[in-house]
Amino acid sequence: MKKRETILTGYKFPLLKKIMKIMKLTTFLLLTTTMLVSASVYSQSTRLTLKFTDITYWELFHEIEKQSEFRFAFSRSKLDPSAKIQINAMDETLEQILNKALPIGIAYEIIDRYVVILNASEKIMLPESQRMQLQQQQTVSGKVTDSNNQPLPGVTIVVKGTTQGTVSNDQGEFSLINIPDNAELVFSFVGMQTQNIFVGTKTIINITMQQDIIGLEEVVAVGYGTVKRSDLTGSVSRISSERIRDMSLTQMTETLSGTVAGLYSQQATSASGGGSLEIRGPSSLSAHTDPLVVIDGVIYYGSIRDINPNDVESIDILKDASSSAIYGSKAASGVIIITTKTGQIGKPTINFSAKLGVSSTTNDLKPYGMDNPKEYFNAHRDYQRQRNPDQPDYYYFHPDDLPESIGLDEWMNYSANPADDPIDEWANRLVLWPIEYENYKLGKTTDFYNIVIRPDLRQDYSLSVGGAREDMQYYWSIGYLDNKGIIKGDQFSAIRSRINFDLNVTEWLTVGTNTHFSSRDESVIQANMSHLASMSPYGSMWNEDGSLRRYPNDYTLIRNPLENYYGADRLRNINSLFSSLHAQLELPFGISYRISFQPRIQTLKDYVFYSSETHTGRVTYVGGRGERQDQSEFEWMLDNLIKWNKEIGKHNFDLTLLASAEQQKSWQSDQNNVNFSPNEKLSYHGLQFGTNPGISNYDSESTGDALMARLNYTYKGKYLFTGSIRRDGYSAFGQKNPHATFPAIAIAWKMDEESFYNISWMNHLKLRLSWGINGNRDIGPYSALARLGSIESYSLSGYGIGVYSTTLANSYLAWEETEAFNIGFDLGMINNRIDITVDAYKGTTRNLLLNRQLPRITGFSSITSNLGKLGNKGIEATINSFNVDDKNFDWRTSLVFSLNRNKIEELWGDFGNYKLLGEDRYGELPDFENEWFPGYARDIIWNYKVTGIWQLDEMEQAANYGMKPGDFKSVDVNEDGEYTQLEDKKFIGYTAPRYRLGLKNDFSFLQNFSASIFIRADIGHLRSMSILTPEMSTFGIRNAWGIPYWSPEHPTNDFPRLVWPSTLSQYGGGITAYKPTGFVRVQDVSVSYDLPSAAAQKIQVNSIRVSAIIRNLFTFTNYPGFDPESGMDPMPKTFTLGIDLTL
Amino acid sequence: MKRIIKILIAVAMFIFMNISCNDDFLKTKPLSFFAPENVYLDKEGFETALVTVRKNLNQEEFYEALNHLDMDIHGSEMGVRQTAGDWRTLTPSGSHQGVTILPIFTRIYGYIKNTNVVISRIDDITWDDQQDRNEILAEALFYRSYWYYRLVHSFGDVPFIGYEVDKAKLDFNTHSKFAILKKIQSDLEFAAEWLPAIRLKDRPSKYAALHLLSKVYLINLEFNKAIDATTEVINGPYALMHERFGKWRNDQFRNYIWDLHWPENKASQENTETILITFDRADAPENAKTSGTNTMRSHNVNWHGQLVRDSKGKRGTIDFNPDGTRTQMQDTLGRGNPNITPSPYGTFDIWNEGGYGAFTTPDLRRANCNWIDYHLGELKYNNPASVDYGKPFNINYFARISDSLTTTFPFPIYKTWYPHEEGYNGNINGGNGDRYVYRLAETYLIRAEAYYWNNQLDLAANDINVVRERANAVPVTPSDVTLDYIFDERARELFLEEMRHTELVRASLIMAQLNRNGYNYENFAEKNWWYDRVTSHSNFYKEGEIRGLIFYVEPHNVFWPIDITVITTNTLGIINQNIGYDGDENNIPPLETIEVE
Repeated sequence: MKKRETILTGYKFPLLKKIMKIMKLTTFLLLTTTMLVSASVYSQSTRLTLKFTDITYWELFHEIEKQSEFRFAFSRSKLDPSAKIQINAMDETLEQILNKALPIGIAYEIIDRYVVILNASEKIMLPESQRMQLQQQQTVSGKVTDSNNQPLPGVTIVVKGTTQGTVSNDQGEFSLINIPDNAELVFSFVGMQTQNIFVGTKTIINITMQQDIIGLEEVVAVGYGTVKRSDLTGSVSRISSERIRDMSLTQMTETLSGTVAGLYSQQATSASGGGSLEIRGPSSLSAHTDPLVVIDGVIYYGSIRDINPNDVESIDILKDASSSAIYGSKAASGVIIITTKTGQIGKPTINFSAKLGVSSTTNDLKPYGMDNPKEYFNAHRDYQRQRNPDQPDYYYFHPDDLPESIGLDEWMNYSANPADDPIDEWANRLVLWPIEYENYKLGKTTDFYNIVIRPDLRQDYSLSVGGAREDMQYYWSIGYLDNKGIIKGDQFSAIRSRINFDLNVTEWLTVGTNTHFSSRDESVIQANMSHLASMSPYGSMWNEDGSLRRYPNDYTLIRNPLENYYGADRLRNINSLFSSLHAQLELPFGISYRISFQPRIQTLKDYVFYSSETHTGRVTYVGGRGERQDQSEFEWMLDNLIKWNKEIGKHNFDLTLLASAEQQKSWQSDQNNVNFSPNEKLSYHGLQFGTNPGISNYDSESTGDALMARLNYTYKGKYLFTGSIRRDGYSAFGQKNPHATFPAIAIAWKMDEESFYNISWMNHLKLRLSWGINGNRDIGPYSALARLGSIESYSLSGYGIGVYSTTLANSYLAWEETEAFNIGFDLGMINNRIDITVDAYKGTTRNLLLNRQLPRITGFSSITSNLGKLGNKGIEATINSFNVDDKNFDWRTSLVFSLNRNKIEELWGDFGNYKLLGEDRYGELPDFENEWFPGYARDIIWNYKVTGIWQLDEMEQAANYGMKPGDFKSVDVNEDGEYTQLEDKKFIGYTAPRYRLGLKNDFSFLQNFSASIFIRADIGHLRSMSILTPEMSTFGIRNAWGIPYWSPEHPTNDFPRLVWPSTLSQYGGGITAYKPTGFVRVQDVSVSYDLPSAAAQKIQVNSIRVSAIIRNLFTFTNYPGFDPESGMDPMPKTFTLGIDLTL
Repeated sequence: MKRIIKILIAVAMFIFMNISCNDDFLKTKPLSFFAPENVYLDKEGFETALVTVRKNLNQEEFYEALNHLDMDIHGSEMGVRQTAGDWRTLTPSGSHQGVTILPIFTRIYGYIKNTNVVISRIDDITWDDQQDRNEILAEALFYRSYWYYRLVHSFGDVPFIGYEVDKAKLDFNTHSKFAILKKIQSDLEFAAEWLPAIRLKDRPSKYAALHLLSKVYLINLEFNKAIDATTEVINGPYALMHERFGKWRNDQFRNYIWDLHWPENKASQENTETILITFDRADAPENAKTSGTNTMRSHNVNWHGQLVRDSKGKRGTIDFNPDGTRTQMQDTLGRGNPNITPSPYGTFDIWNEGGYGAFTTPDLRRANCNWIDYHLGELKYNNPASVDYGKPFNINYFARISDSLTTTFPFPIYKTWYPHEEGYNGNINGGNGDRYVYRLAETYLIRAEAYYWNNQLDLAANDINVVRERANAVPVTPSDVTLDYIFDERARELFLEEMRHTELVRASLIMAQLNRNGYNYENFAEKNWWYDRVTSHSNFYKEGEIRGLIFYVEPHNVFWPIDITVITTNTLGIINQNIGYDGDENNIPPLETIEVE
């Protein structure tokens, strides 16, 4: 008897063909499921032991079916099933057994797990339809519920090894037809543990999903691929769409403030939202330290503003060197991977969401007298008293405020020629401007603050359609957002659209695109805050004829804060298109090849017209001034990816190879003109009508290439290894060093998989260790070149252009390299109800791209060079716990903690004697200009340690220093009666938070309600406050930010007196005032309600969710400025109502 | 077959990928800027470098608020920046309020850098005509010498950089000022040899080089050479202006001294006195002109402030009409701050001679039509709301009488009036216009000084009297010629033109080198002629404190401190700090010779 086995391949079997088509349906599915298990693998690897005498073929086959997953079928076979035989097989394959057992003339064919018994002559001719029938036997249906026995809609059910699948309906019900009856179904749902169920002979499968607290099954993006969280070797954090859903976002980065251990993000204050980003501390002294952004698997250099947060499925943050090293030269500051939404199998889903919000300030800092106008004159009075100590003490007092001991006549006679009226005299002494005097007499005041800074509206609408069919998968969205800032004139609006589309052309070729388009309007003409600070409450915003008063106080250096808001005209519009166009080929031997091309196009228009009613700089252009900036960018990147995944016994290999090239080009044209004729009415639309045109161009071009290889290797599913190497080239570096190589290694050990592991309360434990090197190339495309600047000249010989050197060349300029270690563990406790991830890291950046300070007598202030060494180390912890899981109440908590300590380990490499902290030292010389000190943190503050304010009873001590009561009092380290910077400046603190904490609590209750509260704390740092050390020379005739200044009547120890000339110059090298700026803030609070599905269906919708969201509800801090996070800019507090509707 | 297709597609894609990775792919491609390599290739390239070199003389030296000229006045007996009268606050890391002394040092080195590009690269190309080469080199050497002349007098011993710095260099050392002065003497001799005799007035000619060279000869104690050089200039194509000319020639209220200083007349062909000017015009393209002289802001009275009160204690003056337009008074007097308050030495004392006073002197340089005097009732209340509208200011009504510091001093409007362009809508601070760098009157005074040092007082008096007679002043007798007198005459003739501090320090150094009048170079930082003159002639330092403002200066302030950051960033060498300032203890002896360039 001949052994006739067919190896199943995708090309021969129509059903498999179909399955192959369905594959690629979703990226999610594609990446989570393992490849087809070949039948031959099963039949080869399944070994049976059978020992029977006197058994029929029926009985034999039945026994085999019992022992294995094989199923037998007969095809017009001449075999007599009742004939008796004997069999003796010890650990043999089915083939061996059948070869022994079947008589001559009878053949068999093994198709997957089906064994067809047939006549030898029929062997080859088995019709396709029959083969198919074999696998079409089963239809499975059932119901999915949660642990509270509630139906669970939206659960994805997939036949393992295929992309055949469905999604449970609103009743939690599902049905699948045409599945092979040996299929294994995979049930997955966000936040639930994935379950695998063998169908066997079952036709009804009811299943209860369990909450997945740890997210072990969660698939995490790791760059050029994904991996299950449980298989991670590096340090990666994720923010899921659930978290994003309960926030009102303008930019996606707003989700990141305080929420991820090791990612430091400060909230921005403007209407355009966003925030700064820094992963694991500053990895550079002067190059940018923004993380690299990767979107849907490809590097993205565009603006985060172009991405609609409503389209985002998840954000993964690669923190350790090994995870990010596959991005080589761009990854020293970490990587943020954004994954956008894709269509899900099932009927098309239409989602509409709308959010409407109002922003006000978290805190107000108003100029003097905005709430109580009298304070304005009191401040001026106290200022003049300090400034003119030779005048009698009550000279500047209002006649109504005089003490009884001083008569009005006496007070009047302080002046040589007093005015007739005491109020006039008082106004003269306080130097009131005419308008102030007039309005004072009329009792008319204006609250400029509330005109300029006031609550305003935010709106966000988003519509999306998504779905998937066998051969395609689609997601389309459009969103419109319109924010008005809390400062008048600040605004941001955007139309953002996305298409994610994949098409299975053939079973071996998939093509698709992820494309987004955005049109942003950033035509901001924001009110001028420094002029606002100078507004007198007795000034006037408007003239009598209703026109804007250009000098509200009459003081011509202090302009109306809204002058440009009303008088200037601006258009700033940015249109951008980013597309990833990809094709993927399935090659033999488990190899896949993906090519993707990513063009990005952006055009920017920034047109401004300053009418003759405005100032620009300090100048008013009589005939107006117009400026147009047009910029366009074109970038492309080409990625070639080869992946190979193979499981050989206990060894699993996953190899990724990349070859990539990129180019960025930018063209900028600036035009300006002044003095328009016959009038200014054409605004910036007709610059040719001006009389003095100017043009300039700034074009640039840069190129890069990269080769990368990565191997993930798993042994027995518990020893994990990742190794990668990347070689990068970039045109900006000196032509002697355009390339660099970045290696990385990581290992992980799933201890809980070991047989000896039996710690019952700790059901999950994984140790991780990684090392790698990354680069930073972010220094601008021409840093290595010497440049000539140009100047224009007009001389007796006429107009001419002159050139001069502006930078020095450095042809050896090279990458900045960050080498980092990471050690961490993941721990699941008490049935995985508590999940702890802890990481410790140490990173060292070498070859810092520094603008080395040169003695400025060279004519250059600096040169870009590779010098120095900067270290960052820190600890991060994330603890998630599932506190209560009850039908009516569900409570989860997530705590993140991080601390980072950085240190300048080496700087310029110049050694010598120097003085610091009053000591003569020898060692590496500090950079006093930048205040960088080798051996100390980059953000350490070197300044005078202010201990308070000199009080009246300390007048003599203050005088020793040339100061007066009301001035800053500081530690005089060497007690020599003089403040000398090298002697007396100390290290007084840090500008970056020492500890950062985030605590999120999520609740769901009464079945349909959910709520969350996120509290964030940044602790232990200081912030400079320049308004405490101002140049006050004109204060007597204008207003200022209303700090509660020192005066004899108000002897505070926190704020200095109002005075000029300042005695601050007694502080050698200058003094900067710092205030603690640590804070605890209730940053996000949300409450939402899901309409019960029965009710929703009555109104023909799938689901409705309404929510109320509050950002920055409460802030607890001692910082005296506007906000501890933004310093002297007002921070918005936003109340938002949202509705989310799915059809 | 399908497998073959797939492989073919894959291969095609790889090829596509590799096309983009050829050798040139990573080459840096500068697009919108020039690099030295593609500019300094021919005469035109060097000419464009010289355009910058020439323009550098305009920038902060004579234009913009608190320019170098103003700082040189602040550092002299002629005036003071009120907020910075206490020189103890001028430190190497300094926050000396409201003055811009520290940056002068590095700015000048920035200008020297531009000259060195020309000087270092001059022989990198082959010149068809050696005359072209030498002329371009001569001009660059002239400007470099101009700047070093300024540096050594403001900052004493400084590093001499005589070449283009084209890589990071951190090992500079200080050169002796005399080594530098010898170097620029020979450089200027080269310049005087090769620069054409006749050039546009905003470009240095042979005679401009000789003019500067004569000052260098003086400080190098080469008095006879100084006499020869100045004589060559005086015998050159120049003559003092004695006639009316230009725009105002028919205005009988004015005189030819007014004409001489009218901005547009400085470049005029009729003006035979000009040796070198800076050229700056309002009708230039926006980026080709300076932001203006700022003279009316810096040197005119603050007549418009809140302190100017009428007899009812109300505001007596307004700078803007209620409709927002400028008052006429602002148009003519500007909106004085003033940044520099003149001392009575320059406004009164030096005009008290020959029995005359400031208001009676026949000297046209103090003629009533050329000055604005509160004391003559020339400042009048212009607030229509004031009861005293149209009447002269009365200081007794002012909010603080002590504010006469800023509101009532006389000022030479014939030198400060730089009208703004037609239709200008900002504050009147002093607009664009030409300024004298060198004119023949100064050449006479240099020769007079050379004769003085040579003890040829008759000849010195003759030269001084050429200048005095032109101004209709009473001649001086030889026996009255002293160094102080020469500097008084310079003050009368060259206020707001000469770099006053620079010239005072030059004379002080000559005095010290010659050991005259008890001065010597060894203890220059403790005793010098500059200090004695400033403290004896400026009322500010005599009075010490006015309205709570401190005026205090010490002998070592003769030289200004060197910006500490220059010293600290020069980590591989030692740049000396001037004696008397923090950090001078680290000094090492300065280099006495200038080595290879």
